[in-house]
Amino acid sequence: MKKSLRLGAVLATAAIATMALVSCSSGGSSSSSTSGVKSIKVVIAEYSSATKPFWTAFAAKYKATTGITMNLQIISWTDINQASSTMIQTGNLPDILNENSYASYAADGLLYDSSQVLPAATKADIIPAFVQSGTVNGKFYGMPDLSSARAMFYNKDLFKQAGIAAPPTTWDEFVADAKKVQALGGGNVGYAQPLGPEEAQAEFAIWLFNNGGAFKQGNKWVINSPANVKTLQFMKDLSVKYGVTQNNPGATNRTDGAFALFAQGKAGMVVGFSPLSGTLDKAKTVNYGIAPMPSGDGKAPQTYGVTDYLMSFKKPGNQAAISAFYKLYYSPDQINTWIKAENFLPATTSGLKVFQSDPALASLKVYLDTLPNAHLTPTDDPEWDKVKLTLQQTLGLAVAPNGDPQKYLDNLQAQAVAGK
Amino acid sequence: MNQVIASGQPGKGLGASRTLAPGLPNGEAAAPGSGAAPARRKRRRNDHSAASIGVALLWLGPVLILIFGVVIYPAIALLIASFGTFSITGLYRGFAGFTNYVNLLASPDLGQVMWNTFVWVAAVVILTNLIALGLAQFLSKEFFGRRFVRWAVIIPWAAALVMTSQLFRLMFDYYHGIINQMLLGLHIISKPVDWLGSSTFIMPTMIAVGIFVTLPFTAYLFVAGLNAIPSDVYEAARIDGASPWQTYRAITLPLLRPAILIAVVLNMIYVFNSFPLIYIMNGSNPGYGNDTMITYMYKVAFQGATHDVGMSAATGIFNVIVILIAVGIYLRFTNWRQGDQS
Repeated sequence: MKKSLRLGAVLATAAIATMALVSCSSGGSSSSSTSGVKSIKVVIAEYSSATKPFWTAFAAKYKATTGITMNLQIISWTDINQASSTMIQTGNLPDILNENSYASYAADGLLYDSSQVLPAATKADIIPAFVQSGTVNGKFYGMPDLSSARAMFYNKDLFKQAGIAAPPTTWDEFVADAKKVQALGGGNVGYAQPLGPEEAQAEFAIWLFNNGGAFKQGNKWVINSPANVKTLQFMKDLSVKYGVTQNNPGATNRTDGAFALFAQGKAGMVVGFSPLSGTLDKAKTVNYGIAPMPSGDGKAPQTYGVTDYLMSFKKPGNQAAISAFYKLYYSPDQINTWIKAENFLPATTSGLKVFQSDPALASLKVYLDTLPNAHLTPTDDPEWDKVKLTLQQTLGLAVAPNGDPQKYLDNLQAQAVAGK
Repeated sequence: MNQVIASGQPGKGLGASRTLAPGLPNGEAAAPGSGAAPARRKRRRNDHSAASIGVALLWLGPVLILIFGVVIYPAIALLIASFGTFSITGLYRGFAGFTNYVNLLASPDLGQVMWNTFVWVAAVVILTNLIALGLAQFLSKEFFGRRFVRWAVIIPWAAALVMTSQLFRLMFDYYHGIINQMLLGLHIISKPVDWLGSSTFIMPTMIAVGIFVTLPFTAYLFVAGLNAIPSDVYEAARIDGASPWQTYRAITLPLLRPAILIAVVLNMIYVFNSFPLIYIMNGSNPGYGNDTMITYMYKVAFQGATHDVGMSAATGIFNVIVILIAVGIYLRFTNWRQGDQS
């Protein structure tokens, strides 16, 4: 009798404890299901040290305008995917999420589209190429928060030492120039090539766009097209055949590998973007120039553009709060302030005009002029999310000395077509 | 304090219950005494033990909540997740049966990953224990500056593993790492070694760092074990004329056996589950060629093209089974019950 009483007490305590935990994990911010929410949860990726000050000020402004509290979470880029995945798994959805992909969330029916939450005037202001990349089946889900474009950075001092007059415009010139820089010795490398897991897909994308390649044509995947295979073979040859890259490009990440070498003045060229300019201008260690990408097919240089997204999740009663969020975010003094602080590029047509007319931002001209025509990766296809992850994790293996570009891209094409 | 119970003063229940155990002999001693007093005392004792369930629960509550929250609930959640289908976003899509387990066992990377895990655990545990045996002998001797050396040995253990791994990643870097520069400067190597990027060197490099961070705990376990060996046993050996090596083999090692058993079992589990070290040092390598089961589990869930929480959960369950089997085999081979008794 006494024993069973004790057991009962223990079980009761256990049950209470478990239930308390369950309710903790699934409770979260889903406050009221009636007319309007009192607070929204906004999860933002950390681009730099400028991210937190901006969003903290933004939250205060949002509260002052709407009376709704904005619970801000800033998460580093390396962790945000895991964090968002966990939130969705536990049913603890954010209201706004800042990520570099959105199509899988849209495919799962979790997101509002623009007709539900975005004022029409705001939508009209977003650069059309980005509206298109944020649209799945005619519905605009992925609202761009900012954009960036890639270009070729070159070290003017190393070019001078190597006797190179102007940055290369074709792939042949590129190889020749890289060889000259590599021949300088002293640990200098011709081209810093990051094909490790961090951003391998971006490095591949910019080279293939400049060789007439693409990931998708219309509705069809063309990952193993001849132009793409030729591009990957060329990227492999840079290290294996010509020997003009740093050691082991397949195991080199962008930030702590390729960019670090360039920032130390040890690399002749690297594919960079405007935040790299920001870092280099602050450090003042490298005398660098920015040029369009060299072309592999004899055509004009192509720009590779990237946007990240602010997507909004369907939760009872949060529609008006989200609409107010977008309205405030896309107001020129908010979005442009932030993008300038982060050294990125605008996502709106009005922002583009502001940036183009600002003499302090003259160095961005090379990107701004090409931005509306930039090539983007097919972020509007949920399948791309998996293709991208495969490229990031394994592209480095295809450019190793024993790698096989043709076979690698054949496999990837099969994966994308099969949809798994 | 015992008098509180013996004298039967009311109104001090809480204080009395705390001294219940020491009070027991008193109560028993008083039991043969006659009259109403013992009966009353007996009932009071029952009151006390009844109260002590509630009080015990009060005291155990936080621990119970912790155990259920941190151990049992996540374990159940993991098991449930391993039988679920999840979208790439993490959204639960329904029951999957054994699909996740089948996918895991059919994965082309699993063989290499399991082999890596075996090499990693075996090398780190065996080498750590061998080095720690020597180090413990050294640390248990009296010498000038012993306190300083003991501190120096424990610091790698006290530092956060993420920090240590990041530091070693910098030290082993191909271009800027201090290790390559030192070896080049001493003319031991003629060109830099790709410690972290080449498939030949990455595993030995990780194992070296693994030993470095596992050593302090193991060495201190052995120091404690050595201190527990009574000195008269050594004295007897010396009188019998045993050589130092004979003494070590016939006395020190057998008496250290319990400590070695504990060190090996704990290290097996600890090294098997070591995540930050491999994740960080292997961070810029493509593919799964240098991953262990733990980092593989993470990549399956969040980084690889699978991006599958369900399959990752199945890997987690698989890992628990693998490490239980490994520890079981070890304990069986070493006849742990015997070790327990000695």
